[in-house]
Amino acid sequence: MTKLRSASLVLLTMLLVACNRVDSSGSLTSAVEAEKPAVAAAQQAAALQPVNKPAVTADGQPVNPLGAAVLEFHKRVQAYMKTHNEAEGKVPNLKRTDDPVQISDREKKLAEMIMTLRAGAQPGDIFAKDFQPYFIKLVQDDFAKRSIADRKALINELPKGMKVAVNTTYPTTIPLATFPATLLRTLPDLPPELEYRIVGRHLLLRDVKANLIVDALYDVVPIPT
Amino acid sequence: MQNSPVRFLVVVVVCLGWIASGDALIDRQPQPAAQQRPASNIGTLPPIGKDSVKFLVIGDSGTGDRAQNEVAAQMWKSRAVFPYDFAIMLGDNMYGSERPQDYARKFELPFKALLDAKIEFYASLGNHDDPNQMYYKPFGMGGKRFYTFQKKDTRFFVLDSNYMDKDQQRWLEQELSQSNSKWKIAYFHHPIYSSGGRHGSEVDLRTIVEPLFIKYAMNVVFAGHEHFYERLKPQKGIHYFTAGGSAKLRAGDIRVGPMTAKAFDTDRSYMLVEIDGDALHYQTLSRLGRVVDSGSITRQNTGGTS
Repeated sequence: MTKLRSASLVLLTMLLVACNRVDSSGSLTSAVEAEKPAVAAAQQAAALQPVNKPAVTADGQPVNPLGAAVLEFHKRVQAYMKTHNEAEGKVPNLKRTDDPVQISDREKKLAEMIMTLRAGAQPGDIFAKDFQPYFIKLVQDDFAKRSIADRKALINELPKGMKVAVNTTYPTTIPLATFPATLLRTLPDLPPELEYRIVGRHLLLRDVKANLIVDALYDVVPIPT
Repeated sequence: MQNSPVRFLVVVVVCLGWIASGDALIDRQPQPAAQQRPASNIGTLPPIGKDSVKFLVIGDSGTGDRAQNEVAAQMWKSRAVFPYDFAIMLGDNMYGSERPQDYARKFELPFKALLDAKIEFYASLGNHDDPNQMYYKPFGMGGKRFYTFQKKDTRFFVLDSNYMDKDQQRWLEQELSQSNSKWKIAYFHHPIYSSGGRHGSEVDLRTIVEPLFIKYAMNVVFAGHEHFYERLKPQKGIHYFTAGGSAKLRAGDIRVGPMTAKAFDTDRSYMLVEIDGDALHYQTLSRLGRVVDSGSITRQNTGGTS
């Protein structure tokens, strides 16, 4: 009887441990580990949080912090678009064609030209550091609303094991994950030449025509990879 | 009696061979909603109408492998019986690299017979596709990620479900509101209803496009992404087909459930569709050319059964 009781206790302990280790994706990652990225991102958001400061203009008027973040973001996007347009002017124009050589050549030349013009590009050039908390919050709020099944479906879709570096091309062998349509609704609009993408836990800005990673916000998606 | 074990063994071997041939059907559901055509279960069914709209449906085809080539050869054979004029592509037109030689290996060579016969292709973008495919003339996208085209009294709405931004939503609503076509058909890569075990329904996308589909009386929706064939029971009055198994196959992935009207996930497949007045006739064929599903739909807003 004692042996039976001991065996039951061991079995129960094993079950409890196993339950604690299975995360929403079904993999045996530690649940605590799985929460780490979300916690880290939240801490980062809090640390960078300019919204708690009573922001005011030079004449003392209060500033809408979200509006300011979006304005700053748009300003930086416009600056990037100047570079993009300058690069487009320096490479052959692309029209509809039967020849795929023209398509891939043009994409490559445009990417090279932009990379040259932005040789010193750094993460945060467009996702400005002071306003990153807003983007982090938008992403995290969106994910917080999702069911476990929905998160799992998203995780399945995300490209894994990809090194994300600003001002490099997106690997053509790695699929582009579907961008969650409801999250897209909340993020600031972009010109057609640019798009948001998620890779691993990172939010990217991608140049569509050049297939180029323009900027990245690292470790913002609160899901284990 | 002595032969019984041998007989049993022969039966088992024959059954296994049939399953291995990839033509075993999963048919675990009755056939509601759509009327069944008298299918021979052997080969392509001829069209019913004389002046009808006839098209081919290809999904997730761009592997360049043997399966794609076999399916493409079967599509060409089908055309002798069912002379479709154009093909719609449900995305993942090219897997992996997209170098010029990949355009040849994953599209131009497998579909050479169709291209030589001047069959027009109208592609949508999948998650494996570089959006710059829109500049490739044979894909018929007119340099646009999302676009629309008309065939007789049918309007097709081709969406980019990878990136449903506000521009595309505005465009879709505008195009739908302006369309007076008898039939409205949408197609894109990600299914908003699916019984797939790996992906399942794309709920995010559904919350955005479904209200527009309902508001503007969309009739039929085709999607890929899931590497199998599924016909769903009408959802809020709209017919949905998933046909993403024209080269890739995720065998046994369908979790047959309350949405499923017909499921086929044991071999590659493609669809042939005919729109004839107020009727839409469909047939789905396997890589080996067998009919795995067929039926007819009556246009919803005629007051007929659908």
